[in-house]
Amino acid sequence: MSNFPDLPGMKDLDANPYEPELASFDEMQAGGDDDESVVKTGTTTIGITTDEGVVIATDMRASIGGRFVSNKSIQKVEQIHPTAALTLVGSVGGAQSFIRTLRSEADLYEVRRGEPMSMSGLATLAGNFARGGPYFAISPILGGVDEDGSHVYSIDPAGGVMQDDYTVTGSGQQIAYGTLEDRYEDGLSLEESRELAIEAVHAASERDTASGNGVYVAEVTAEGVDIEGYENFEGAR
Amino acid sequence: MQGQNQQQAYDRGITIFSPDGRLYQVEYAREAVKRGTASVGVRTADGIVLAADRHARSPLLERDSIEKIHKADDHVGIASAGHVADARQLIDLARRQAQINHLRYGEPIGVESLTKEVTDYIQQYTQTGGARPFGVALLVGGIEDGEPRLFETDPSGTPYEWQAVAIGGDREEIQNFLEDEYAEGMDLEAGVALALRALASVSDDGLDATGVDVATVDVETEQFGSLSEDEIAERVTELELGGESDE
Repeated sequence: MSNFPDLPGMKDLDANPYEPELASFDEMQAGGDDDESVVKTGTTTIGITTDEGVVIATDMRASIGGRFVSNKSIQKVEQIHPTAALTLVGSVGGAQSFIRTLRSEADLYEVRRGEPMSMSGLATLAGNFARGGPYFAISPILGGVDEDGSHVYSIDPAGGVMQDDYTVTGSGQQIAYGTLEDRYEDGLSLEESRELAIEAVHAASERDTASGNGVYVAEVTAEGVDIEGYENFEGAR
Repeated sequence: MQGQNQQQAYDRGITIFSPDGRLYQVEYAREAVKRGTASVGVRTADGIVLAADRHARSPLLERDSIEKIHKADDHVGIASAGHVADARQLIDLARRQAQINHLRYGEPIGVESLTKEVTDYIQQYTQTGGARPFGVALLVGGIEDGEPRLFETDPSGTPYEWQAVAIGGDREEIQNFLEDEYAEGMDLEAGVALALRALASVSDDGLDATGVDVATVDVETEQFGSLSEDEIAERVTELELGGESDE
């Protein structure tokens, strides 16, 4: 309320609704994006909805400039909500900061209002932050379960939020989509979707130089989020 | 002499407790609420009813310029009692917070969350030097997750949730009436009737249909809507609340 004097300790009611509550984007701005030295995930991340929940699968490789493998066991899917997970795609630093920010916003929302955020609410918030924030080029997948069922969204660096039954982001996108378009069908079980997602990450890992080194799989159901990593694809199945 | 000065100090400073732990300025603000005309809220199984006494002090005054019930968002209405000017500031705050929720989450704000945004704001004016508390109480009513919710805010910044409640002048009498007459599972129409009867219960010469304002938010549409003057007059006649001195 700009017509009232700011009283000490008063909540800033004119705070930007597109920014995190606990830090403004100005404070978070961390210098320029040095494309050559920033660690990127390259990445293949996949989200598939089923009636039982959501499956998310990601590869485990981080690289610099898409030419050098800087980490072979990175977990690219993280829980950010009691029943939702987000993938890291793009700049690792940007994606990690994005995850921390969304997680604390979702927690604040839940303790204040006594119920967890809906998936559409979380997706809108994530889109707002991606659009205005200092997160570099990230294009994560948000997958989760709420009262309305299972949801998967892809979020692009400009803040675009698109919901789908299944979606893929990252440099291995086109290869993974080949597998999904061939084998995805309505009514797959969680178990079948899990196998399909792993298969698609496997295909992308074979041909995309920025994807590889194994697979992390997250299963998100109404009960919660279960994430496990596998160094080889055989072990994951 | 010394004692009297100290007494006055608790009385004047909003941030100073009296020795028995009271904030006199907040209590005086509650008195300001009592000086206003009454507003009533009723929660029914299929919606919220807000009704307010807005009788004019002169027949020359345009009725519509007396604002007692306001739309905060599509699914929330707010009725006030006390200082209208103070109420307007809080209503604008509520409207902005409701829109911020749409921008931030793409969802309508919960009635409880909206009420608490308002009461947190009111509270800050009970703990800051140089400020004066809001001399107004509000009824915040609407639909949240398909359920009707009705809240009251008071000048201390405390939120209360009610099934049926009155604020403003004659509060106690109207509240007693509501306690006697309220029934769970009432439909919206019964809620409107109860609210009108409650306002009429403290009026000596009957209810003037042009002097009350009624609005509802029903669970079906989740939309705030005001009753027209004719619709109110119809119900006042039906319920025989008009009294003899009218018309």
